[in-house]
Amino acid sequence: MNHDDVSRLLGAYLDGELDLTTCMALEEHLAGCESCRQKLEADQELVAVIQSETPRFEASPFLKTRIHAALRAEKSLPLPFWRRAWLLPGVAVAALLILAGYIYYQAPGIPPLVQEAMADHVRSLQVSHLMDVASTDQHTVKPWFAGKLDYSPQVVDLAPAGYPLIGGRLDVLDDRNVAALIYQCRKHYINLFIWPSNGPSLPGRLYVRNGYHALGWTRSGMNYMAVSELGEQEFADFVKMIQDKTVETRPGE
Amino acid sequence: MSEQHHDGRGNLSPPEFEQVFLPHLDAAYNLARWLLRNDQDAEDAVQEAYLRACKAFPRFRGGDGKAWLMTILRNVCFTMIKRSRSHEKPEPFDEEIHQAAGQSDLREAFRQQANAETLRSALEKLPDEFREIIVLHDLEGLAYKQIAVTIGIPIGTVMSRLARARARLRVELITSNVRQSSP
Repeated sequence: MNHDDVSRLLGAYLDGELDLTTCMALEEHLAGCESCRQKLEADQELVAVIQSETPRFEASPFLKTRIHAALRAEKSLPLPFWRRAWLLPGVAVAALLILAGYIYYQAPGIPPLVQEAMADHVRSLQVSHLMDVASTDQHTVKPWFAGKLDYSPQVVDLAPAGYPLIGGRLDVLDDRNVAALIYQCRKHYINLFIWPSNGPSLPGRLYVRNGYHALGWTRSGMNYMAVSELGEQEFADFVKMIQDKTVETRPGE
Repeated sequence: MSEQHHDGRGNLSPPEFEQVFLPHLDAAYNLARWLLRNDQDAEDAVQEAYLRACKAFPRFRGGDGKAWLMTILRNVCFTMIKRSRSHEKPEPFDEEIHQAAGQSDLREAFRQQANAETLRSALEKLPDEFREIIVLHDLEGLAYKQIAVTIGIPIGTVMSRLARARARLRVELITSNVRQSSP
């Protein structure tokens, strides 16, 4: 083995990646070659420094939450053919669009606004876009909307009741940009859309479609629309708590 | 091995997907963060990779989950890099300093000043492929064979690319020290 061979193999030698025969041949050369031994030392030092000093980035807890949510949404779709092994990812995306479209267009008896909110909810769980701002802190989420919307949604904390706020998102509903707050209940998510009312009040009636619940109401000039796949009782509890906690705002506030 | 990941009908077995892949979340994030250089892009890339992995899970036949996930992730990352940096030119490589880096009096400077900050900035200056292989091997501890699978190159190429990456990193470390010590 000559100097060039050794110099080519030194890294793999240090990494313990050489087979026994090559390893022995290399050590034999090293034993009789001062300059290659020095190279080895320098490399050893370098690798030790790289491995011990280079900072390693760690995933934030929110990333884990986001991925859980995205994976959960991926798996919980009510269409059975979604999960078939032979399906290509592209077909899965098509299935999503069909589902969203299905909810949107094929739901007699459900007002278009509610259908649209349900479709937004499904889409938010699907397209790796549950949250634009991930925070459990209402004082982080509320200012985040400033500058993105021409109104300021009231952000209520329900963590003590078991419905922690986990983030916010801009979405489109009723032909305008709206604030979407995302709450979690166990492994389920609730989208709460909030936007200024410029028409008749929402009727406060519960709609059910494909396991999704939706309920809209109007208070202090703001429309609220909650959508979730939560069970009916838990969903109703959530809505009640939001309604109780949303205080009357004075004009100009 | 593959049977335990699927139920009898060939469908996904969701908890098992998470059991196999979520333990690699930090490793995945670390690679994405080093490749993309900012938190938001790295998080998006990791989430996208997990979603793709989940969709492709029925085709996963057991074996090395970490290498499999990293393969998907690096594809996502390099797609994002291509999209965002198509207009940028790579920084030219300074041959003069490169030659000087072999000199032994510079070795002492390197020895004294190698710390987390110099390492970070030196690694950031490396070309993507070099940065990637150092992160995979020296930070994440993947073996040559796993890296070969992840990147899709022969083991011999892993060896030579890693060697060149480390040599280049050494040069960056020394030049950053030279720049620091000469005003």
